[in-house]
Amino acid sequence: MTANSIKLLTGNGHPDLAMRVADRLGIELTKIIVLQYSNQETSVTIGESVRDEDVFVLQSTVPGNVNDGLMELLIMINACKTASARRITAVIPNFPYARQDKKDKSRAPISAKLIANMLQTAGCNHVITMDLHASQIQGFFNVPVDNLYAEPSMLRYIRENFNYKNAVIVSPDAGGAKRYNLTHPTNTLSRVQLTLSRATAIADRLDLNFALIHKERSGPNEVGRMVLVGDVADRIAILVDDMADTCGTLVKAAQTLKKHGAREVVAIVTHGILSGNAIEAINNSQLTKVVVTNTVPHAEKKKKCPRLETIDIAPTIAEACRRTHNGESVSFLFSHTPT
Amino acid sequence: MRRVKIFSGSSHPELTESICERLGTTPGKCDLRKFSNGETSVDIGCSIRDQDVFIVQSGSQKANDSIMELLILISACKGGSANKITAVMPYFPYSKQSKKKSHRGAITARMLANLLTVAGVDHVITVDLHASQMQGFFTKPVDNLYAEPLLARWIRHNVSNWRETVVVSKNPGGTKRVTQLADVLKLNFALITTDRRRINRDGWASSRFQSHRHSPVESVDGDAKENFSVGGVSGASYGEAVGPATDFGTAPRVSAPLAAGLGITTTAAGPPYFGVASGQSNGVYGHPNPEDDPDDEYADGHAHSVTYGRLIQGHIVDDDYPSPSPSLNPSHGDDPMMASIHSLPSLHPTDHALSGSIDADNSDDEDEVDQLPGSEKMITLVGEVRNRTALIVDDMIDRPGSWIAAAEHVKMRGGAKKVICIATHGVFGGDCLREMEDCSCIDQIVVTNSFPIPQEQRRGLRKLTVIDLSQLLSEAIRRNHHGLPTLNLIPDFY
Repeated sequence: MTANSIKLLTGNGHPDLAMRVADRLGIELTKIIVLQYSNQETSVTIGESVRDEDVFVLQSTVPGNVNDGLMELLIMINACKTASARRITAVIPNFPYARQDKKDKSRAPISAKLIANMLQTAGCNHVITMDLHASQIQGFFNVPVDNLYAEPSMLRYIRENFNYKNAVIVSPDAGGAKRYNLTHPTNTLSRVQLTLSRATAIADRLDLNFALIHKERSGPNEVGRMVLVGDVADRIAILVDDMADTCGTLVKAAQTLKKHGAREVVAIVTHGILSGNAIEAINNSQLTKVVVTNTVPHAEKKKKCPRLETIDIAPTIAEACRRTHNGESVSFLFSHTPT
Repeated sequence: MRRVKIFSGSSHPELTESICERLGTTPGKCDLRKFSNGETSVDIGCSIRDQDVFIVQSGSQKANDSIMELLILISACKGGSANKITAVMPYFPYSKQSKKKSHRGAITARMLANLLTVAGVDHVITVDLHASQMQGFFTKPVDNLYAEPLLARWIRHNVSNWRETVVVSKNPGGTKRVTQLADVLKLNFALITTDRRRINRDGWASSRFQSHRHSPVESVDGDAKENFSVGGVSGASYGEAVGPATDFGTAPRVSAPLAAGLGITTTAAGPPYFGVASGQSNGVYGHPNPEDDPDDEYADGHAHSVTYGRLIQGHIVDDDYPSPSPSLNPSHGDDPMMASIHSLPSLHPTDHALSGSIDADNSDDEDEVDQLPGSEKMITLVGEVRNRTALIVDDMIDRPGSWIAAAEHVKMRGGAKKVICIATHGVFGGDCLREMEDCSCIDQIVVTNSFPIPQEQRRGLRKLTVIDLSQLLSEAIRRNHHGLPTLNLIPDFY
C-alpha cells in the first residue's frame, strides 16, 4: 500500500457497521486491539503503521455504555495522532451527548460542546456524523463536520417496502416547544423545526400528505397529552423522527394515530438507541413496525423484537469516507443514496 | 472557608465527606445521574458564581464513567462562572499509560491531562503520581502530594518492632520510592527483580552467581547486628560486598546509594540462607560453567545478598519442579498477547477482525509477573530479610501477580517472618484483593483510601488496612484556597 491510503479503525462499539463500511470501500479493517484492563481502564494498540495515512476512526457508542465507547474513540484518535497519521477523521454515526447541547437551566453543562472539544484535543481533524440532534453542534467544532442525512436511505426504504401512495407522514414531536422548552432539554424551537422539516421533506419528496402531533411533556423521557393535527383516517401513518430512545413518544403517538383511525402505524427513525424498556414498549404497542438505521448496534434487540427492522446506512458512510479521502463533494449524499 | 464549594463525584463520596468534615463544611449539592441511554447527567444544585470550586473524583470500577463525570462537572462549573476550578484526583486514572509502551500505543495519561484542561480545570491536586514526569503533561499547575509520611506514620505506630523491618521494592522501577521510605524510617531495604527469560535457556544465572553453589556455605550466623544507620558499618563483615552489587544487569536503575544499602543488609545477615537455593538446585540455575571458577572468593559478596527463585505461573516453585513443556511456552514476543486475553471482558468478541498479534498488554515494566501459562521466570531478591518483617512497597496494587510472587519469594526463599504489602493506591482490579487475601505468604495489605474499595470486595477480609487520606487532601485544599505553600503537609512526627 502506498502512503496516504484510507485506514479504517474501529473499537468495540459497532464492529459490524465498521466491517460493512470496510467491505464497501474494498479494504480491510486496520488491525487494532482495544481492550479493558482488569481495573476497567481502556487500552489501545494499533497493529500496523498509520504513518502519513488518511485515518478514519469509526465508533458508535453502545447505549448504556456510552462513556467507555467515547474513551475508546478518544484513545484511538490519540494513538493515531502520536503515530503520525496525516489526517484523522472521526466517524461517529450517532453523536454521543447530542441532547445536552444547551444551557437549558442554571449551571447545566453543555456536554455536547465538551465532547466536541475533547475530540479536537485528542487530535481529530475532521468529523463525519449523521442526523445530528441539533445542527448547531456543528458549530461547537473548529474542524469541519459533515452531517450526513439518513433521509435518502429512508426514502428508498419507504418506496421499496410500503404501498406509500396511501400513506401520510407524521411528525411526532411538534408540540410543547414554546411552552415547555424549559422543562425538557430536547424541546427547543430549533429542534422542533428540525424534526418538522425532516418529516415535511420526506412528505414532499414522496408527494404525500403531512400530519403532526402536538405533544406536551411532563419530564425527561415522559410524555404527556398529545394532539393530532391532520388527517390520518384509513391511511398508513409513517412516524418520522431522528431518535428513538425509550420510545415513549412513539408509543403514545401510535395510540393517538390509531384513535384517529389510522389503518397502520409505522415508525422510521435514524438512531435506534432503544434504551430502558424500549423493546417491551414496542412489543406492547400499536406500532406494526419500527424501522431504524444501523447507526447504533441493535442486533441483540432485534432478536427480542420482531417488529424492529434495519436500514443499512453503511453505503452512505462508506461513500462519505471515500469522497472525503479523494477530496470530492459530499453534498451529493444529502439527496442520494449510493447504490 | 468562605467562597469555597467542594463537590463530590460519584466515585468516592466517603472520602469527600471526611475531607469536608475536616474543613468544617459540607459537600455542595449536585445531582449525578445517568440517562437511560447511558449518558452521564450532572445537575449542580447551588450557585458557584465567583467561588473556588474543588471537585473530588477518584477512579472507580467504572473508570471511564468517572472520568466523563469529572469532565462534565468541570465543564458545568466553568459554564456556571466559577472563579477557579480544582480537580482533586487522589488516584489519577490511566496513570500507568503514561508512555508509549509499544509502537503506536497511546499516551492516554497525557490525553486525559489535555481533556481536563479543555474541560476548564485550573488546578489539579493528586497523590503519588505513578510517574512524577506526568506533571509535565499539564499546562495547568499540578500538586503531586506524597502519601509517604502517612505510610511512615502507620508503620511506626502499627508494625511491632518496626525498627527491625526491611523495606522491599518488588521491582527495580520502584526503587526510588522505596528508598525514600526507607530513608525516612532509617530502615534497610531490599530489591526484587523478575526476569522474563528462562534461565536454563538463556543461562542468565550462569557465570558469576554460579560459584556459591560449589563453595561451602558460609555460616555467617552471628547475631544480626542492630545497625540501622545508613552507610554506617557497611562491609564490616564483607568488605567487598558493596561494589559488585551494583553490577546487576537486570537492575539498571540501581543507584549507588542502593549499593550502600545492600552492603548493610549483608552485614546484618542471618543464618546461611543460601542453603536452600544451593542444596536443591539440580542444574536448574544453569550448568556449571567450566570457565567459571567455583572458588572465586570475590563472588562470596554476592552470595549473601542474592536469593533466587523459579517462578512458574506466578508462583514460586521448588527447584525440581518440572519446567513447562516447550510447546506451552510461547516465544518471548508472544507472552504479552497471552496476558491480554484474560483481561478481556467476556463481552468482547475475541474473534472479530480486530485482533492482531502484537504486544497488547504492555504491562508496565514493573508488573511483568503475569500468570502466563507455561512461562517460567526467575525472581531474584537482593538484600537480606531473614527472620524479619518485610514491607513490600509500591505505589499501586493493581494486579496481584507480582505482589504474590514477591511475597512468596521473600517468605519462602528469603525467610522473612512476616510480609506486609504497602501501597498508596489500592486499585485492586478483578479478583486481586481476594487472591492477595488468600495468599498465605501475605500477612497484611495496607493501602490508602485514594481509590474506593467497594463494600462487597471488602467483606470478610482480615488482612486489609486502609489509611485515611482526608487529612492530607483537606490540608492541601485549605492551603490552596488561602494561597499557602503545600510543602510538608503532614509533619514528620513519631
